[in-house]
Amino acid sequence: MAIIEIRNLSKTYEYYKKQLGLWASVRGLFRREKLYKEAVKEINFTIDEGELVGFLGPNGAGKTTTLKMLSGILYPTSGEAKVLGHIPWKREPKYQKQFALVMGQKNQLWWDLPAMESFILNKEIYEVSDADFKKNLDELVELLDIKDILDVQVRKLSLGQRMKCELVAALLHKPKVLFLDEPTIGLDVVAQKNIRDFIKQYNQKNKTTIILTSHYMEDVKELCKRVIIIEEGKIGYDGDLVSLIEKYAPYKVLKITFEGEGVKEEDVSNFGEVHQFTPHSITLRVPREKAKNVARDILSSNLPVDDILIDEVDISDVVRKIFSNNQIKK
Amino acid sequence: MINFLNRNIYNGVKKYWIIINNEIQRQFAYRIGIAAYSFGNIAEVIVMVVLWSIVYRNIETIHGYTAKEMVSYLVFAWFFSFLTTTYAFEANIAKDIQTGALNNMLVKPISYLRYMATVATGRILIALLIVLIQDILIILLLRGRLIFSADVSKIVLLLAMLSVTYLFNVLFSIGIGFLAFWTTEISGIYYALKVLRNFLSGYYFPIVLLPVALVKINLFFPFVYTAYIPVQLYLGKISFAEGLRGLAIEILWLVALYVIIKIVWRFGLKKYESVGI
Repeated sequence: MAIIEIRNLSKTYEYYKKQLGLWASVRGLFRREKLYKEAVKEINFTIDEGELVGFLGPNGAGKTTTLKMLSGILYPTSGEAKVLGHIPWKREPKYQKQFALVMGQKNQLWWDLPAMESFILNKEIYEVSDADFKKNLDELVELLDIKDILDVQVRKLSLGQRMKCELVAALLHKPKVLFLDEPTIGLDVVAQKNIRDFIKQYNQKNKTTIILTSHYMEDVKELCKRVIIIEEGKIGYDGDLVSLIEKYAPYKVLKITFEGEGVKEEDVSNFGEVHQFTPHSITLRVPREKAKNVARDILSSNLPVDDILIDEVDISDVVRKIFSNNQIKK
Repeated sequence: MINFLNRNIYNGVKKYWIIINNEIQRQFAYRIGIAAYSFGNIAEVIVMVVLWSIVYRNIETIHGYTAKEMVSYLVFAWFFSFLTTTYAFEANIAKDIQTGALNNMLVKPISYLRYMATVATGRILIALLIVLIQDILIILLLRGRLIFSADVSKIVLLLAMLSVTYLFNVLFSIGIGFLAFWTTEISGIYYALKVLRNFLSGYYFPIVLLPVALVKINLFFPFVYTAYIPVQLYLGKISFAEGLRGLAIEILWLVALYVIIKIVWRFGLKKYESVGI
C-alpha cells in the first residue's frame, strides 16, 4: 500500500539579488531584483508501507526541501503530495499525530532542561495516553541505552546522546511515517553506528515507513534497500541500491597481492585499468562480465600471485561518479 | 458525559500547564536570566521621582496634579508596567523564525500562537514574583509621598485591567516578533516602538500634559488603556464607571489585536513557506 505519493511536485524559492558594494546596497533599499531558484522540479515517486528509502544527493539538491514539503512546513509551487492520505501542507492535527521529522541540525528538545521534560510535553501535545507513553518510552530508552541521561540537562549531553534523545522525542507518539534529515551528521563513527543500528531495528520491528537523507554512504549502505537520488531538483535514479551499482558501475574491482619480488606495472596493465599500484599489491578495474576470466588469467600467468579478491565498487564511489558526471554534462 | 468532558478539558489544559512548568524550571536553571531585568527598574523610578520633585519645588499643581499625585502617578504607572511586561519576548519569536526552529513547532499538532503565549507567561512568573516583592518595598519606602486609595471593587477592576494589559502586551510582543518573517533584524523596530508605546501609554508622565489635540488622538490608540487609565482609576481621577468603560475598550483592542496577529501570522507563514528558512 502506498503511504507516500508524490506527483509532479515542484518548489521554486524567491530571493533577492544582493549586489556587491556600498552604493549597490543603498540602491537595493529601493529596488531589488527578484530571482527564482527551482529547488525541486516535478518529482514523482511512491513509497510503500514499511519501506526505508534513502534520499541521496549533493548539498542543495532538494532533499531537505522535499522533506519539508512532506512535513507540511513548505507549500509547493505546484504538484501534489499525499502522505497517509493527507495533504501535508494543510497541517491537519490528524496527520501531524502520525508522522515525525528529525533534523540532525535542528533540535526540538528544551535546551536547558533534562530531555525527560521535553518528552512529557510531547506526550501532552501528541495526546499520548499514560500507558502508551510508558510503554513507548521504556522501549526506546532500552533500545538506545539512555536510561542514565534522561535527567541530565540537554545542553550537557554529547552530540550523540542528544541525537538519541531527539529520536525518542520524535518517536514517542509512534509515528507511522518518519522523516530523518541527516540524523548522523557530525557524530563520531561509534555514535553513527549506534543510531544506524537503532533505525534498522526500529524499522523492522514497527514497520515504520522511513525516508532518510544522509551524506554518509555507510548509513545508506547499511539501511536502505531502495534509494532515490536527487540532483538539481530532479530524480536521477529511483530503485534498488544493488542495481544502482550495476547500472552506474559496470565493472568490478580486483585486489591482488603478490609475493617475493612483486611485479612491475607494465606486467599487469594489460589485464585491466590499474587503479592503485605498488609492487606487492594492485587494484584493477575490469568490466563486470570479464571479472572472472581476468582473475583466472592472472592466476594462470607466471606472476607471483599471493591472493586475489573480486569485489564490488564502493557505493560512495558510484554516487560520487554520478554526481561528477552530471557536473561535467552541465 | 460530564466526566468525559471534564477529562477532555483537563487534557487540553494540561499541555499548557506543562509548558509553564518547563519555563519556570528553565528560569531556575538560569538562576539570574530575566530576573536580572527586574533589578534595573528601581533606578528608573528613583530618577523620575527626583526629577518631578525638583519641578514641583515652586509649583502647586500641574494640569490638576499636585506633587503627591504626580509622584503617585509615576510610581504606580511604573509598578503596573512591570507587572505586565513581557521582558522583550519579541526576541524569542524572532529567533524561532530566523533560525528555523519554527519548523519544529509547525509539524506538531499545537497552535504556535497559543504555545508561545504560554511560554511567555511561564517565562515571566519568577520575575513577576521578584518584581512584586521589590516594588512593594519601594512603595513602602516612599509611602509618605504616595496616595493610597483602593477598595475591593477598585482592586478587582484594576486586576482585570492589568490582566488584559498583560495579554495585550503578550500579543503585541508576538506581533512585533512576527516582523522577523520580513526583516532579519527587529531590535531597531522593537526599540522605537517601545519608546513610542511608553510615551503614548502615559508611562513617562500623565498624558494630560500633552496638547489637547494629541490627547484626543491618543484616546483612539490602545496604549492609554494599558497604563494611563488604570492609574487614573487608582488615583480616583476617573470614576468606577469610567474605569469599566476603559476596561471594555481595552478588551475590544485586545480582540482587534488578536485578529490582526492572526492575519499577520497567515501572511508571514506564506512568506516563510515560500522562502524556506
